[in-house]
Amino acid sequence: MDYVQITQADRQEMLEKIGAPSVEALYANLPPQYRLDRDLCLPPARSELELQRDLASLTAMNNTASSQACFMGAGAYDHFIPQVVNNMAGKGEFVTAYTPYQAEASQGALQAFFEFQTQVTKLTDLDVSNASLYDGATAIVEGVLMALNTTGKRRVLVGETVNPQYRTVIKSYLTDLAAEYVELPATGGVIAESTIEAAMDKDTACLVIQSPNVFGQIENWTKQFEIAHTQDKTMAIAVFNPIACSLLKRPGSCGADIAAGEGQPLGIPFQYGGPWLGLFAASKKNMRKMPGRLIGQTADKHGRRGFCLTLQTREQHIRGAKATSNICTNQGLLAVRATVYMSAMGPRGMQTVAKQCYHKAHYLADAISKLEGYSLAYDGSFFHEFVVNCPTDAKAVIAAGKAKGMLPGVACEKLGIGQSNQLLIAVTEKRTVEELDALVALLKEVK
Amino acid sequence: MFDPKASPKLIFEQHNPAPKTPSIDLPALDVPECDIDEALLADELLDLPEVGQLDVVRHYTALAKRNFSVDANFYPLGSCTMKFNPSINEAAAALEGFTGMHPLQDDDDAQGVLKLLHDTQTWLAEIAGLDNVSLQPAAGAHGEFTALKVIRAYFNDPEGGNAPQRRKVLAPDTAHGTNPASCTMCGAGVISVPSKDGYVDLDALREMVDDETAALMITNPNTAGLFDGQIGEIAKIMHDAGALLYLDGANMNAITGVARPGDFGVDIMHYNTHKTFSTPHGCGGPGSGPIAVKDFLTPYLPVPQVVKNEDETYSLIDNCPKSIGKVRSFFGQVGVLVRCWTYIAAAGPDGIRNIGQTAVLNANYLAASMEDRFAMPYFSTAEKKYCAHEFITVPKDLLAKGVTLIDIAKRMIDYGVHPPTMHWPVHDCLMIEPTETESKATLDRFIEVMLSIADEIEENAEFVAAAPHHACIDRLDEVAAARTPVLTYSAG
Repeated sequence: MDYVQITQADRQEMLEKIGAPSVEALYANLPPQYRLDRDLCLPPARSELELQRDLASLTAMNNTASSQACFMGAGAYDHFIPQVVNNMAGKGEFVTAYTPYQAEASQGALQAFFEFQTQVTKLTDLDVSNASLYDGATAIVEGVLMALNTTGKRRVLVGETVNPQYRTVIKSYLTDLAAEYVELPATGGVIAESTIEAAMDKDTACLVIQSPNVFGQIENWTKQFEIAHTQDKTMAIAVFNPIACSLLKRPGSCGADIAAGEGQPLGIPFQYGGPWLGLFAASKKNMRKMPGRLIGQTADKHGRRGFCLTLQTREQHIRGAKATSNICTNQGLLAVRATVYMSAMGPRGMQTVAKQCYHKAHYLADAISKLEGYSLAYDGSFFHEFVVNCPTDAKAVIAAGKAKGMLPGVACEKLGIGQSNQLLIAVTEKRTVEELDALVALLKEVK
Repeated sequence: MFDPKASPKLIFEQHNPAPKTPSIDLPALDVPECDIDEALLADELLDLPEVGQLDVVRHYTALAKRNFSVDANFYPLGSCTMKFNPSINEAAAALEGFTGMHPLQDDDDAQGVLKLLHDTQTWLAEIAGLDNVSLQPAAGAHGEFTALKVIRAYFNDPEGGNAPQRRKVLAPDTAHGTNPASCTMCGAGVISVPSKDGYVDLDALREMVDDETAALMITNPNTAGLFDGQIGEIAKIMHDAGALLYLDGANMNAITGVARPGDFGVDIMHYNTHKTFSTPHGCGGPGSGPIAVKDFLTPYLPVPQVVKNEDETYSLIDNCPKSIGKVRSFFGQVGVLVRCWTYIAAAGPDGIRNIGQTAVLNANYLAASMEDRFAMPYFSTAEKKYCAHEFITVPKDLLAKGVTLIDIAKRMIDYGVHPPTMHWPVHDCLMIEPTETESKATLDRFIEVMLSIADEIEENAEFVAAAPHHACIDRLDEVAAARTPVLTYSAG
């Protein structure tokens, strides 16, 4: 099925209008030696019913996290997704539209993005936000590039407690640029103020700190960013979790100049890693240096409020090599999901989610720390994720869990953030007390 | 007085300060509460509205109605390939067997999704006529960036290109704006190659290529909707000079199954799955920008990569010492790639060829039916000058009658047609791309619309200049929006 509706008769009629003998004749510019003289080596066409069968057999080969008690996190969290999110973001008018270049034909998307931008500024306690970036990692990178461009400095300080997925992406991006990547070592699961003080210098463009960090620990952004600001122009970049921001201190109130983070917790399923949503916000003075699409409010000649793409002179299609970023597409449909999620959950609903994550994670951590042979790796405050020292290899714990329909966590060694006996456990509001107790019982048996 | 065009209230203006129950409820907390250090807490509840669930549904339904889309409108936005998004693709991507996969699950729990990704890689390599594919990039521009990193890594490698001085990238003056912007992000200089009669100026290209040139980024068919038949010569110029040929695959919809970039000399390219392979555009994303390469560039592809093992199982690998590293978190836009797989699987080899051929037929039919009234610089039935899957018109005669290009575009909205791409790649042009999925009836109606607008301009230019008349809102003042940016809502 190729979804083509043109019939043989249509084709004839159309060729007559064009005055060409055949469709092949329309490819007059394509030199004959470059024309493919065989069928592509692809499987034969399939009907929709056959596709459904094929897809069913592919999905049967997956053992999903969503069908088990999932304690895996490390940047992807198993939150409840209200049905209204799927229904609203599944509307064809949102799914099959493109970038709202023509404002009068795209008010729906534009207004939704304007609401999204506003919601992200509330989450981050910063002034301006964009209509989204690809994912958390690339949002952080855009923040780093913005800091390099704005300050004209070249050192990028990144806490070792930033998720390694993000750190490796920052490193790849900086490889060919005139910038120096400096990783700050952790002390007790967080970045110590003295470490930052020692690393700061006049050439420091930015300091990147994630909180809750990859170990789940809450960093002291306020103090850390104060140190960053002891140097002229140096920018503080907060890597944030939007669910944590509904309960805990927000980047802007802690002194961040830029906040960047992964929007997956806002109503977006795992999807094996994508498509997710890059969240980005900054202080107003940096508005014109922002990457990505920006939606602005305006009016028609009768004064009716409307919305349009704005400040486009920052962007690649106008400015080419001098653009603030090469980004063209955003994650529009995911931004719609996040917008509907935040609107439906409301501030109290989101705070309830965060509180339940917190209490359940602490209930579990407390129970595990009382087990013989188990202990918490770090003793600082944490949100909904923590590292456990196991009496055995973390892989053995994971294997034992899988045998019982449970995903006990992520092995720290696999992530490159710890020893072979360390397990990173995340707890969301979806985990029931029975599941928490079952994990404790399982760990008790694995020694 | 009732104003049918008044915009809906913002969600923030629908706040109910004292709702009885939340819009969405959660089960009661089933563990004891513990203390939270006050110093960690935000001072205030998030400043977001409380809105009942029905009103949330009404609100976003109302917004959806104020949006043109392929599902509801003909959307001939040039260069964007706004084709039909089959319903089965959406259903496939929403299957819990895919959406429920945590990205760090073990490979043996992920064999279904890994097989799907491996199939997709294999098929995209075959359609490109290239050897290997990385599905990592999140969008076309991200694919460009990733590909340029791969090229750079190849030239930096003493066992590879071994020419670290090759840092200059050439791009035709008609290139997508993302091309030079991607170069900047890679720390590469970009030099614009002039065009002659819509095609790359070969003499200029020969002059510009030297031992510092890394690659030429070419779009073919190009952004004016023309297949550049000099492509073999262009490839030869680049390769003789020791440089590479990169294809921006934005316009692959014209040639799928008809010609393969690898066969006409391309070393590396990116796809836009949201264009060619019918993954939806989602109001601007998510896209997906896989890159395809010749074998000698494979070692530099980003990680992770999906490989098929000898025992027919699949694994994710990241132990690739020459790789450029990671360009995004986890593994690509998987949900988008599920749609891509479903689309290619449905089409099969004949379908993929028919897609390319019909896209070209439809574009030429529109151009042939409009050329008398809408001047076209590169198209002429009389001279047998045809276009690829899209064409540009520079309607000079109409513009001389007191309307601007924007007026014409806005008038199209009144007829329920999404306006084409404007002022690009040349000033005062409309770039029209119908795609292969439209019926002849839709194409005929579009022709009628365009001819009516031409008549209207002759008869009453002022009326057209005041368009849109029947949109959900009258023409918006975009200049004012940029002059005094208001990017967020604030009460009062």
